[in-house]
Amino acid sequence: MLKHLFKLIWNKKKQNFLLMSEMLFSFLVLFAVFTLLVYYYNNYKKPMGFEYKNLWVVSYNNTFKSKSTDSVNRYYETLRSTIKAMPEIRELSFCSNNVPFSNSMWTSLVTYNKKQTSPVNWYTSDDGYKEALNAKVLEGRWFNKADAIGKYEHVVINNELKEKIFGSETAIGKVLGNADDKQRMQIIGVIQGVKVKGDYAPSGYALYHRADTGAFRWFGKIMVKVAPNTGAAFEARLYKTLANYMKDSNVEIEHMVNKRTNINYFTLVPMIVLTIVGSFLIINVALGLFGVLWYNINRRRGEIGLRRAVGATGGSVSSQLITESMILATISLIVGTFFAVQFPILNVFDLSAGIYLMAILLAVIFIYALVFVCSLYPGRQAAAIYPAVALHEE
Amino acid sequence: MLKNYFKIAIAVLRRRKFFTFISLFGISFTLTILLVLTSFIEKIVGDSYPDRKRDRSLYISKFQSKEKDGNSSSALSYYYLSHYVGGLKTPVKLGISSGYNGTNTYVNNKKLAVNYKYTNADYWDIMEYDFIEGKALTKQQVDNADKVAVISEDMKRDYFGDVPSVVGKYIEADNVKYKVTGVVKNVPITSYMIYSDIYLPFTVSKTDFRKGKGYQGDFYGIMLANSTADLSKMCAEYDAMVQRLPKENKNVVKMYSHADSYIVSYVNTGNEDKSGVTIVLTAIGIFVLLVTLLPSLNLVNINITRIMERSSEIGVRKAFGASSKTLVYQFIVENIILTLLGGLIGVVLSFVAIQVLNGFNLIPNLILSVNFTVLAIGLLICFLFGLLSGVYPAWRMSKLNVVTALKAQ
Repeated sequence: MLKHLFKLIWNKKKQNFLLMSEMLFSFLVLFAVFTLLVYYYNNYKKPMGFEYKNLWVVSYNNTFKSKSTDSVNRYYETLRSTIKAMPEIRELSFCSNNVPFSNSMWTSLVTYNKKQTSPVNWYTSDDGYKEALNAKVLEGRWFNKADAIGKYEHVVINNELKEKIFGSETAIGKVLGNADDKQRMQIIGVIQGVKVKGDYAPSGYALYHRADTGAFRWFGKIMVKVAPNTGAAFEARLYKTLANYMKDSNVEIEHMVNKRTNINYFTLVPMIVLTIVGSFLIINVALGLFGVLWYNINRRRGEIGLRRAVGATGGSVSSQLITESMILATISLIVGTFFAVQFPILNVFDLSAGIYLMAILLAVIFIYALVFVCSLYPGRQAAAIYPAVALHEE
Repeated sequence: MLKNYFKIAIAVLRRRKFFTFISLFGISFTLTILLVLTSFIEKIVGDSYPDRKRDRSLYISKFQSKEKDGNSSSALSYYYLSHYVGGLKTPVKLGISSGYNGTNTYVNNKKLAVNYKYTNADYWDIMEYDFIEGKALTKQQVDNADKVAVISEDMKRDYFGDVPSVVGKYIEADNVKYKVTGVVKNVPITSYMIYSDIYLPFTVSKTDFRKGKGYQGDFYGIMLANSTADLSKMCAEYDAMVQRLPKENKNVVKMYSHADSYIVSYVNTGNEDKSGVTIVLTAIGIFVLLVTLLPSLNLVNINITRIMERSSEIGVRKAFGASSKTLVYQFIVENIILTLLGGLIGVVLSFVAIQVLNGFNLIPNLILSVNFTVLAIGLLICFLFGLLSGVYPAWRMSKLNVVTALKAQ
């Protein structure tokens, strides 16, 4: 039966060629849209890794100028205790500029056993950072004062980096090197990845350094965790305190909740636009397929009438027509999948192969469903043809 | 003759309403997508408020220095712009402004996020802001480091509420009080080199920009030439100046910076190896191709189907001596009529879509509109669409054999 259907299709290859190319392009468009959706959804499923509610970030520039590191440190430690003394403040931490949901990035390499991993985000922060962000420690511990001295610098990494380098082994106590394997760093803890680029982006590899004595010279952010339901009145007071203390700096306070909305916007808007455009293209294609199939069946009334006259049931006629369209779809999907499979093979865009395969699978199912639905009605119509009428027309 | 074709086209359209609907739907929707995209691009790069002298200005937005162990690229320092660029002969004015930075202000226990921007006095001579009240910053105010500010309409409304005039009043931002000298019409944030809520003289900054000898910083430069004829000269002079720049340190291998037209500098990636223009054009090209390819294929499919329905008509005309050329011509004209009809619907849909988008107010102050340029592009797209989807079916049709065509009845 299939062989016979192939012959029928082959005889009308010119007509079918256009139909098939249309299916092929729809498949490719769907593949692109689904890849994006699956990628975003995969990231969305993972935990945030920190609590952004009641978390504010203070930015300041023009750090305190002084020749002596001690007086710089004293200056900021005074500020720290001033703020910490406020009852609404739960925790605060000075840190490098690459705070969550900001556009600032600082990436480098790490080396372990001569193997380099990149890009790794380098964060620098002090001991209160974990508490401020409410990050989750999976193994080992976060920094404390005891980490200031030691043979190696102590660092904390995130789970993604640990999985990448150590797999299922423990990472605690292992020693990493930087890009040229000079600076040695001993891992003392592993935390859950913090999604710094919003809900729909991966957390990436991360490595946390403990602030050393000179860090205040280049820090420019303070993460502040406040009590729930702290309002603008307190914020204004905090702002005045900061601005009056740091007279030479421009100060800004931002809420992580708003920053998250903004950064998600950048992923959501393209996603919504693509989905709208994609779905209208698909509606367009569906209507076209429907029209062409319907027309083709109308032209084959004689053939169908003859089959009915010889004794074929209505069901077998309509299933023949549906199978024909399904074979057309299969041929275009084979070609389309051949193109789509190149993406995981050549590792384009650095996404995991699973995402591409899932997208291919979804797109294939979608196209089959589409073609099936579009050929259902014309098939039913064909089944309803009376042989006497159809044969009379000829 | 055309009138006849028109009549035939309308008659054919009314024959199979479902197919007509499919064709029109495909054309009009594709056109809507493309028109909204065009109007968006038009607004972002084509709307020349407030820098109306774009045709004789060159913009400097990035400075890249290639070093032995990496690359650094950012906007420019005040020192570089005033000292090196200020020394050029051709520009009559040099506007210097910082990028916008955020700070807060608190009014009656309400927080306002404020973006501020530092400018020099020339900036206000080059720009032609629409002043709702008051006037621009003067050279004297900048030189004296007066604490004065020009604010945007939105800022006025958010900070002062609904009061008729605010010139002379004080606005507090970043814990400093500034006297308002003028209120200007809003600029959307997408014009990132020009947008701000508050414009301040660069001399009032807590950082003294005149110190420091580095080339990179947070400033953009706009050079104004005497006439459009001087642009190429100005560009060449700038490039020569960059060639002669002393190296900042031993590690610097090469330095790049360009004075470009607004659009080129707008998409500047700050990396010599990655041209922003190419990236943007490729992205737009791929998008347009995808959006138009599928509906085109669809139209070709539908058109072939419809033509085959008319095989008897074609056979009769051929039998009476009509040449293939005439038939092809007729069919393409018919198809163009169809696409233009779809185009009309598309334009109406675009109006609706743009109204809806403006209603959402996704980007504050970015008001999309359908103007003559956008419409002209839309018409052109329709025309091409009609040609593209008409040529292949018409060619197929013209090859029909008279005898088979007549027998098909």
